[in-house]
Amino acid sequence: MPRIIIDNRQIECREGIPVLQAALEAGLDVPHYCYHPSLSVVASCRLCLMQMKMPHPKTQEMVWSPKLVPSCQTPVRDGMEVRFKSEAVAKNQKACMEFFLLNHPLDCPVCDQAGECYLQDYSYHFGDAESRMVDQKLVNPKKDIGPGTLLYQDRCVMCTRCVRFIGEISGTHELCMVHRGSRTEIDVFPGLPLDNPLQGNVVDVCPVGSMLDKDFLFKRRVWELSGTPSICPGCATGCSIRIDHADNRVCRLKPRFNPKVNDRWMCDEGRFGFKYIHEANRIASPIVRRGLEQTTPSWEQLPEIVRFRFQEHVRRNGAEKVVAVLSPFMTCEEGWLLIRFIRTIAPEAALVMGPVPLEGEDQYFPVGATSKAVKFTILAEKCPNRRGIEMLLKAAGGTTLTFGEFVEQSGKGEFSSAWVVGGYAKPWIDKATAKIAANIELLVVQDIFESGLVAGAAIVLPARAWVEREGSFVNTAGLVQPFERAIAPPDGGRYDGQYLFEIAGYEGLFSAGRVREMMAESISAFREIYEAPVLPAHTH
Amino acid sequence: MGSFKPVLLRNRGVENSRSLKVYESRGGYRAVRKALKMTPDEVVAEVKKANLRGRGGAGFPAGVKWGFLPKDRTTTLLCVNADESEPPTFSNRVLMENDPHQLLEGTIITGYATQAQIAYIYMRVEFHEQFHILQKAIDEAYAAGYLGKKILGSDYSLECYLHRGAGAYVCGEETGLIESLEGKRGWPRIKPPFPAVEGAFRRPTVVNNVETLSCVPHIIERGADWFTGIGPPHSTGPKLFCISGPVNKPGCYEAAMDITVGELIERDDMGGGMLPGRRVKAIFPGGVSMGVLTADELDMKMDFVDPGNHGLLGLGTAAAVVVDQDTDMRMVLRNVARFFGTESCGQCTQCREGTAWMYGIATRMEEGAGRIEDLDILLETARNMGMMPGLSICGLPDGATYPIETIVRKFRSELEEAIRAQAPGRVEAVLSAVN
Repeated sequence: MPRIIIDNRQIECREGIPVLQAALEAGLDVPHYCYHPSLSVVASCRLCLMQMKMPHPKTQEMVWSPKLVPSCQTPVRDGMEVRFKSEAVAKNQKACMEFFLLNHPLDCPVCDQAGECYLQDYSYHFGDAESRMVDQKLVNPKKDIGPGTLLYQDRCVMCTRCVRFIGEISGTHELCMVHRGSRTEIDVFPGLPLDNPLQGNVVDVCPVGSMLDKDFLFKRRVWELSGTPSICPGCATGCSIRIDHADNRVCRLKPRFNPKVNDRWMCDEGRFGFKYIHEANRIASPIVRRGLEQTTPSWEQLPEIVRFRFQEHVRRNGAEKVVAVLSPFMTCEEGWLLIRFIRTIAPEAALVMGPVPLEGEDQYFPVGATSKAVKFTILAEKCPNRRGIEMLLKAAGGTTLTFGEFVEQSGKGEFSSAWVVGGYAKPWIDKATAKIAANIELLVVQDIFESGLVAGAAIVLPARAWVEREGSFVNTAGLVQPFERAIAPPDGGRYDGQYLFEIAGYEGLFSAGRVREMMAESISAFREIYEAPVLPAHTH
Repeated sequence: MGSFKPVLLRNRGVENSRSLKVYESRGGYRAVRKALKMTPDEVVAEVKKANLRGRGGAGFPAGVKWGFLPKDRTTTLLCVNADESEPPTFSNRVLMENDPHQLLEGTIITGYATQAQIAYIYMRVEFHEQFHILQKAIDEAYAAGYLGKKILGSDYSLECYLHRGAGAYVCGEETGLIESLEGKRGWPRIKPPFPAVEGAFRRPTVVNNVETLSCVPHIIERGADWFTGIGPPHSTGPKLFCISGPVNKPGCYEAAMDITVGELIERDDMGGGMLPGRRVKAIFPGGVSMGVLTADELDMKMDFVDPGNHGLLGLGTAAAVVVDQDTDMRMVLRNVARFFGTESCGQCTQCREGTAWMYGIATRMEEGAGRIEDLDILLETARNMGMMPGLSICGLPDGATYPIETIVRKFRSELEEAIRAQAPGRVEAVLSAVN
């Protein structure tokens, strides 16, 4: 590992990274716009310039070079000495901030980026409070560049991160630069809007309020948001994300750095795919039906009722008449608790893997990239935890069925009691499947939305959206990735992990970590979880 | 002084000097034959010995530049910089109009010295007539076996393409030129890697100016010693000088680099003195980007060293434009600022924003609403944009700030006087209209 000296402080850093990256990783706040660790280096914002010790041309003595060099473009070299704390560096930073703000409209009060804007931050830390510019400002236009994104060119700092993202990561090349000098604009080509499955990331890479997410536009001030680390349930890739929420509502999703999965990106499908969680027609509370009688039990009564009803059926019809359908939207912990409950009550019960939704084909980015050049993948498998549930089924052993076999055998009346878990974001019960309700005496359905199956169920349990739960998903690469609970369920009641925990016979509060420890005793794969590293404070 | 005979312009005025036949009849393409009998390294060594400094503006020794090419390269490209865009420069145009084969001969010899397989001549789009002249010369050279496969029976082959730019000053910067040649936006590249290592199409590339290459055949034919015998030791060889503005004979003239700015204006075989009734107030001796001289500095030598002693960036393109006593320096300031404001490529912050800001201030000053503090802002902005050592990717902001800084510094009293003579309340009126 190279050792370099930054501002008289010796640091060890990774091989081959730019000095800027090393400085950020050492916790220094070096202002920068154009540098982005996942994009090519253009060194054009000139804000990260530093001083470097170089041999004097005549004496060969190591002296501070009078020329400032871009720290983003200079790779670390063992023994090098650089400084950011110098008059020349500070002068350049101050001058740059003045230049950046010359024609800026200073419209922070109505700007979505305010609060997470690096023009604000750097101006505060490195700039001047007043502008010496008295002339008419150049006003570059605001543009609607695509279905998802607005471009406020007047706030742009021309870092070209968005253009590089579209060229290097999505590979769709919709964005370009037009005109020259201070009239330079980011733009799309005529008739070709910014419209690709990764376009939302341009808003994330934009360090200022130039690229705006239409979906989030004017909805919230960002300082009202709380961020909770999570995992995207949109496909089997399992991108690390952050859930930004306020007042128990999810406002937006942002990608979170995960070097093993999604780097710093996420797809639009995942980004905007959370809307269903705030729909009004969600199943809010548990329902218990007996004959024509329908009651809503309290959360405290529920475990006893469920256990009693299953025990009753096992006694009457035999343990082999019991079946549980697990969903690839369940967390590993929930799956484990459900299996534990079912197999305790009915050791011969069959276990079923719920339907795995497949849509289209796997998509690789940049478009056209193969194998090693692939930087981002959207999988056709639109569920987060098929692998995790499969691992549990394998470990549980006994009778396992496919969903097709389950529907077929249910039609023949093979099962008298079944627990079916849904949790799908989209409708998943077709007419044929709904019919099985008639053949199963005790049907427990745990789902988010009403369906033919829910209508025929003896016990309905409200499944919660992933943002209301905690647990872990196993992604397509086999990484066990835990996530936290961001908001409470709409009725403020218990969430899947908690009530399954109680139904399975445990007392107290559910904790995914504790359940994982119990799981790890018998399933070694859960001994190791993967949590993406937290980025140093001043990186962006 | 009287002993200097034109070298580069020796065919100017000769009837049909553009044609291959006339060029050959006057000794043309002899140097290629000679060079092809030498080894490439010998050609490079000869040019190094001649200390041929680049004529494009920076004055970097051409032979040294060629020496930066990696030894183990397999492909080499040669770019001829014919994007002559510096106001008020037209020496390359004169060379290409009158003697296109001289440039081609220099290109072939340089190609051989650097073992280039392809030469691209990057020409500014405004050169319409010159494009056809040069294309015809290239066709003639191909037909005569000077270009193409196995040149003159040797083992050396060179393909030559004429490429037209799209009208940007910054594409005369060598990496801006390379980007533009590749079909991209002409934004200069970050260095390293330098073009000699990774240039056009990621291949080792040499970029030289038209006039530089036009010198090469003469160095090969007459030897480095002949070349170094012309002009002072630091600025060897013949040089083209342009003179324009209110002089009797504006035009392109050739001389050794031992003349002064005053001589360029006054000499009968050059500018021929000022127009009747006109006096020199200021002069930009090296293209506008090098900065301005006052009438008291006409003894400055037009070589690679002396401009530095007068607070200028360098010799530049050695194209002088004279400003007379009746011209308002605010107008000059605004005109210069406008050029760089529109020609900054927009990549680096300082240059993109600084040039436009300076243009805004200069415009307001010309409109009679300047403030004394604007002069200080101009000076400080110029320095904040980076003046040697620069702060940006390319040298454009250096070239944009030197004229502004030198105008404000050297003509400050005139500018201050003009500001004091402004109509009262004008500044307040203009500024309140803005805010």
